[in-house]
Amino acid sequence: MSYVDAGYAVGLSVLFLYAIGLVIRRRSLERAVDLSLPPSDSAERTAETGGASGP
Amino acid sequence: MNVGTEAPSLPSRPRWLRVVGVAAVLSTAATVWLGLWVTPPDKVQGNLVRLVYLHPPIAWVALYLAFGLAALSSLLYLWRRTRSLFWDRLAAASVEVGVVFNALTLATGMLWGRPTWGVWWTWDARLTSTALLLVLFLGYLALRRVPAEPEVRARRCAVAALIAFVDVPIVHFSVIWWQTLHQGATVLNANLSPTIHGSMAWTLLLGFIALTLVFVWMVTVRYRIEVLADRTDAEHLEVSLAERWAEGDLDGVPSNGANGGNGANGGNGAGGVLRPPTRVGP
Repeated sequence: MSYVDAGYAVGLSVLFLYAIGLVIRRRSLERAVDLSLPPSDSAERTAETGGASGP
Repeated sequence: MNVGTEAPSLPSRPRWLRVVGVAAVLSTAATVWLGLWVTPPDKVQGNLVRLVYLHPPIAWVALYLAFGLAALSSLLYLWRRTRSLFWDRLAAASVEVGVVFNALTLATGMLWGRPTWGVWWTWDARLTSTALLLVLFLGYLALRRVPAEPEVRARRCAVAALIAFVDVPIVHFSVIWWQTLHQGATVLNANLSPTIHGSMAWTLLLGFIALTLVFVWMVTVRYRIEVLADRTDAEHLEVSLAERWAEGDLDGVPSNGANGGNGANGGNGAGGVLRPPTRVGP
């Protein structure tokens, strides 16, 4: 592997893994908030944000 | 401003975020394709020039966008007229993303330096000041973890961000102020006359746009995480207080800030006897 390939591999894979980590952290916190809300509030929030899917 | 046990209101997820995310992925893919397969090798650097399409855009995001936004947000928090925990959370989000990009700046720079200079690392002014910047903002992230009232934490972190940001102009001008191994600026040089042209220049420009979009997406998601974390902290404290109130543990306990909170919320101002928490916010 050349230094150029290594540079792109390191740069892109770190950014990709960090982005995945952000999505996982956000989803788990959204679930925690959903669980702590009364059922009516939780349904409203889910409808407003479209659930925990997407970026 | 959100104080006490008030849970921060949860902003709805912006609809443009998905568009920015898709645009970031597509433009990054296009930069990689152009950088690795379409643009020609350089007359002097050969194929190593291909790292230029990645390394300067990463450094641009870390130094100017992420740490610049963190410094601006910190300034707006410290200014009495605009003081809001929104700015504190935005600074925190921006610094975390900036630290990732700063570390990548050093990593990709080392991968370019080894074949060019023959060493992975040298105590050159540009490299040293960039490494110092990483340490300073890691210190900022450590400071955020020190338990404190939200306003106290926000104030001390804002001051820390502004102190750390002093290193950014030092990094920028280091190649002018000192004799360095690191080459001078390719685009933002003293004459504002780029020393790169044609398909190489367009690919570099696309790299800047792509990583700026990546930064916008990451900061927006990270900001939401900060809001959600504050909210779950506040709710966790409310539940804990309510449970202890129901058990009768808190009767007679003075409200001196040492009442089982996590340091982020403090007492409830009940003056000697804790009252059941009143739910505030949505």
